[in-house]
Amino acid sequence: MMFLSLRHLLARKKQSFLILLGITIGTAAYVAISGMMLGFQTFILDQLVNNEAHIRISAREELLTKESLKAFPEVKHVFWSLPPSGRKDSSKIEYPMGWFSKLDLDPDVAAYSPQVVSQVIFNQAKVTRTGRIIGSQFERQMKVTNIENYMKVGSFKDLGNSGNRLIIGSKLMEQLGSRVSETLLISTGNTSPQPFKIVGVFETGIKGIDESTAFSSLVDAQKLRGRPSEITDIAIKLFKPDEAQTKSDAWKVSASDKILPWQESSASILSVFKTQDIVRNSMTIAIIIVAGFGIYNILSILVTQKKRDIAILRSMGFSPSDIVKLFFNQGILLGIIGGIVGLMIGNIICHIMAQIEVVPGRMSGPGNKMIISFATIIYLKAFGIAVLSAIFSSIIPARQAGKLEPMEIIRSGGQ
Amino acid sequence: MIKTQNLTKLFPRATVPALKSINLEIQDGEFVSLVGRSGSGKSTLLYLLSTLDSPTEGNVFYDDVNVKNISAQEIFKLRNKNIGFVFQFHYLLQELTALENVLLPARKAKVLEQRRPMGLKLLEEVGLKGLEKRYPSELSGGEQQRVAIARALIMEPTYLFADEPTGNLDSQNGQMIIDLFDKINKEKGTTIIYVTHDKEFAARARRQITLADGALV
Ligand SMILES: Nc1ncnc2c1ncn2[C@@H]1O[C@H](COP(=O)(O)OP(=O)(O)OP(=O)(O)O)[C@@H](O)[C@H]1O
Ligand SMILES: [Mg+2]
Repeated sequence: MMFLSLRHLLARKKQSFLILLGITIGTAAYVAISGMMLGFQTFILDQLVNNEAHIRISAREELLTKESLKAFPEVKHVFWSLPPSGRKDSSKIEYPMGWFSKLDLDPDVAAYSPQVVSQVIFNQAKVTRTGRIIGSQFERQMKVTNIENYMKVGSFKDLGNSGNRLIIGSKLMEQLGSRVSETLLISTGNTSPQPFKIVGVFETGIKGIDESTAFSSLVDAQKLRGRPSEITDIAIKLFKPDEAQTKSDAWKVSASDKILPWQESSASILSVFKTQDIVRNSMTIAIIIVAGFGIYNILSILVTQKKRDIAILRSMGFSPSDIVKLFFNQGILLGIIGGIVGLMIGNIICHIMAQIEVVPGRMSGPGNKMIISFATIIYLKAFGIAVLSAIFSSIIPARQAGKLEPMEIIRSGGQ
Repeated sequence: MIKTQNLTKLFPRATVPALKSINLEIQDGEFVSLVGRSGSGKSTLLYLLSTLDSPTEGNVFYDDVNVKNISAQEIFKLRNKNIGFVFQFHYLLQELTALENVLLPARKAKVLEQRRPMGLKLLEEVGLKGLEKRYPSELSGGEQQRVAIARALIMEPTYLFADEPTGNLDSQNGQMIIDLFDKINKEKGTTIIYVTHDKEFAARARRQITLADGALV
């Protein structure tokens, strides 16, 4: 029946073309918009998941209460004229060894990196900037995050294990008016400033990180903080990032430290993604409706117009299922051709978009180009949508055509 | 051979049956016209005989096989291979050329290429040589009806049924159609059963079956 289906389509070139155009535009739009959104999302997600830890264990920030002062066990009764308030100035993970042995044994943990994270003031000549310094052992840190991929100058290994070397965010260095191999003064506010020499620069593309963060060795950070051998954070990488939430929930039961999976630390971004997905899905539904109704209408009209043909075909021995195919094929053909052309056009649009330079910022990837996803799943989905909507909208009129009785058509004179 | 046994047809909303207990036998190779006043049941009988319609009561036998006992698929095959139809309205598919229309049943039977020479020959026989590539809209009513006859004959059917094949044509074109039927019946031995209002055309058949109020006369 394909022969006749094709002839039907070709006999109504304009109509067929318009429907095809609808499906093509819908599919292309889906590919382009998904490419843009998913490109953005995977880029950001990659940064969130792999630049930060999958799970971060950090010291609980304790508020001072009356009970906080167990520090003086010899004093039995304490009476306050003014009860203490405020925050403990230094928080630390109380029993890191416990965590280490637990993490070493956990089969889901790929790597972990003990850290000292401190809020600091960076100082270069007369310029000062606040930010944070993350002290870590570089071998461990490199296993936990993919910071090495974002190094603009130098290697993360250049930090070494001590020697006050610093790897700094590109924006932060810019704002300080500083350069590689120059020396900055860093202080935590409570301790005296210490000199750090810039040995490397990283750029993640995320402004918030690039303009506030610097890395040093664990030992140097501990010294800077004035509390050797304490750690404040443990950054953990799992084999499966998606399990971070369940894993954290399990650990929370028995731990006093703060445990934060990446899903929670980036909840606000994830909710932006959700909104984007809603937009994308509404668009999908719109495409289905437009393409589907187009096909449904054209076929329904065709079936009514072609009643005589149906009668004569049936009298020649064509079966009801042949008649169903005659019309169904047309819908499917429109869906497949429109889908394929749409995929190609969408792909071209994506390639063009990937060349567009954008203002540096969150949306921009390496080289300030827009990040576009070319994931196969987008194309599969787009094609699936085109074909599925074609199937669903053809099946109804096609089956109606199959049910028509030749005798009734003939008796009514084919009207 | 087609045989009927107490063939009765009562339409759903009708009070009087359109056909009343018809008993009839048509041998292979007969040339039969069905006549009678308008509403006498000619079309009804023709479509019952040709398997397109089914009776309320009674049976139709094809070579002693009851049509009721033939499966749907076998009926489709029977229509495709053994039965040809010609209607009053020249039902050609507008999207296909004359030759493609003629070859449609062969396409269904998956013998398209084998039957192509016969398609050309049939078109020549009905006087349409050179018009094979024309679309129906480029042919006159009489020419279209002749294409329809060629199509009905492409599978070399045993039976050819025609419901007022000349009804939409002037007498000259009508004459040509009946001449064709006569020739096909003589040369190929096809059993031909046709309905007509025209006394002259009816007389051309070698057997006339007259209906009045749903009964044989
Ligand atoms: N679908 C139907 N429902 C009810 N009655 C019908 C139906 N079709 C036909 N009839 C009736 O059956 C009778 C026979 O109809 P039929 O079409 O066989 O007549 P006919 O001899 O072919 O007439 P004509 O020469 O006008 O074509 C008529 O009285 C007609 O009104
Ligand atoms: Mg009639």
